[in-house]
Amino acid sequence: MEPRVTLKIPRPLYRRLSQLIEGTGFASVTEFAVYILRDIVAHQKGDIESALSAQEVEAIRKRLKSMGYL
Amino acid sequence: MRADRVFIFGMDCMAPQLVFEQWRHELPNLARLAGGGAWGELRSTDPPITVPAWTAMMTSKDPGTLGFYGFRNRKSYDYDELYFANASYVKEKTLWQLLSRNRKTSVVLGVPQTYPPKPLNGTLVGCFLTPDKGTSYTYPDEVKYELDRLAEGDYIIDVKDFRTEDKDALLEHIYTMTRRRFMVVRDWVKTKDWDFFMFVEMGVDRIHHAFWRYHDVNHRLYEKGHKLEFAIRDYYKYVDEQIGTVLALIPKDTQIWVVSDHGARTMAGAVCVNEFFMREGLLTLKDKPAKPTKLKTSNIDWSKTVCWGEGGYYSRIFMNVKGREPQGIIEPGDYEKKRDMIKAKLEALGDEKGNPIGTVAHKPEDLYRTVNNVAPDLIVYFGDLAWRSAGSVGMDALHVFENDTGPDDANHAKEGMFILSGPGVVPGKREGTRIYDVAPTVLSTLGLPVPEDMIGKVIE
Repeated sequence: MEPRVTLKIPRPLYRRLSQLIEGTGFASVTEFAVYILRDIVAHQKGDIESALSAQEVEAIRKRLKSMGYL
Repeated sequence: MRADRVFIFGMDCMAPQLVFEQWRHELPNLARLAGGGAWGELRSTDPPITVPAWTAMMTSKDPGTLGFYGFRNRKSYDYDELYFANASYVKEKTLWQLLSRNRKTSVVLGVPQTYPPKPLNGTLVGCFLTPDKGTSYTYPDEVKYELDRLAEGDYIIDVKDFRTEDKDALLEHIYTMTRRRFMVVRDWVKTKDWDFFMFVEMGVDRIHHAFWRYHDVNHRLYEKGHKLEFAIRDYYKYVDEQIGTVLALIPKDTQIWVVSDHGARTMAGAVCVNEFFMREGLLTLKDKPAKPTKLKTSNIDWSKTVCWGEGGYYSRIFMNVKGREPQGIIEPGDYEKKRDMIKAKLEALGDEKGNPIGTVAHKPEDLYRTVNNVAPDLIVYFGDLAWRSAGSVGMDALHVFENDTGPDDANHAKEGMFILSGPGVVPGKREGTRIYDVAPTVLSTLGLPVPEDMIGKVIE
């Protein structure tokens, strides 16, 4: 994995976020912020990229064909 | 209806006629849930296929809005290979994403079209479209080790070697997969923090496709007294028992669902859609193969081709339109006339003896609120889904009964099933419930607003 970078946010916002995530399953403000930011990125319109390699696509194609989907 | 927690048992392909009629008295846990809750058929998406059906259920958006019409879709109007619509292509918000935004915690286990996994507030295990377990198929990533530990050392994503002739081994493998998945569910229901828990079992779908001929007296290959005659029934009883063991662990005030994404019906055979187009002069190949071969777009003579089709449980028809496809020949002004002609020909095609089979060819704009990305020009249910579509060429027949494109025991039916039980649910059968109604009902149950652009309505 590539090394992480640091983002700076206002401290009152940090405190507010800390309260917001209490008891939610998010272990830290960082985890929550990464979730929200990824969520926004995932919903951007534009070029859709498949995360699959050619070999993975072929493996899935074979499986789906054997199960009758294709 | 209000509850603090919601638990969904997703049973891919579970058939309402089996649960509510044929084996009503043999599935005590499902019967008890239905007896105290709302139940009925759940109308699936068009097409009624795993992808896009589960995502439609989880977003309350139709396939046109989602912009994918099956597992594989056209990226553009070029003649390229189709792409797989995995989780990266889901741009609408799923139930657990909406819940995450409202700081509710979810456990999502094996719901189709969740690979590659996206982050959420909670835990997610990717679906059967995971290429292999070496990939990051869970969120958080380390959960995959926990999965194996809980599941006898090897969590099974989906059945392997589905086409084997060794039906006994296949049956055992399906049971192993299901047993291990329920082991994980029983652990997580106790040890994970959750407001929303959903898992999908694929075994029901797999057992239908592989064993339906032994079960259904109306299947042309049915043999009375075959040792596998009750394979599906016994598996349903096993699943019911497993559901019972989970129910015993779920807190009492939880809203419980059992849902399927589509149903199942006997498959009569397959219609060779491209062979049909060739005979009708609508499709021309450069080299006509002598034996059954996958149709490759590189082998199509586009200067003499009006349309071509894809195989699967239903058929998608693509037309070769001038100015749209690279070598299109249909004048844009003739598009509707040609499309109606193709639709009429397909709907008139009977079985191998010429008897009518009730084929329906849909235009996407008649099915969906909007039509995003590249939709097929026609979506075809041969024999109203009693027949599958074979896309191969070189078949030397319009109808086949044993083919190399997949098992042909069962096809999908448009009606799946649902049971909804919990605080405030008025017991009784419901009519007209749709797959789109699940997400709004769950949101409303958890006291959250239902987004206005959701198609479904809250089940009363």
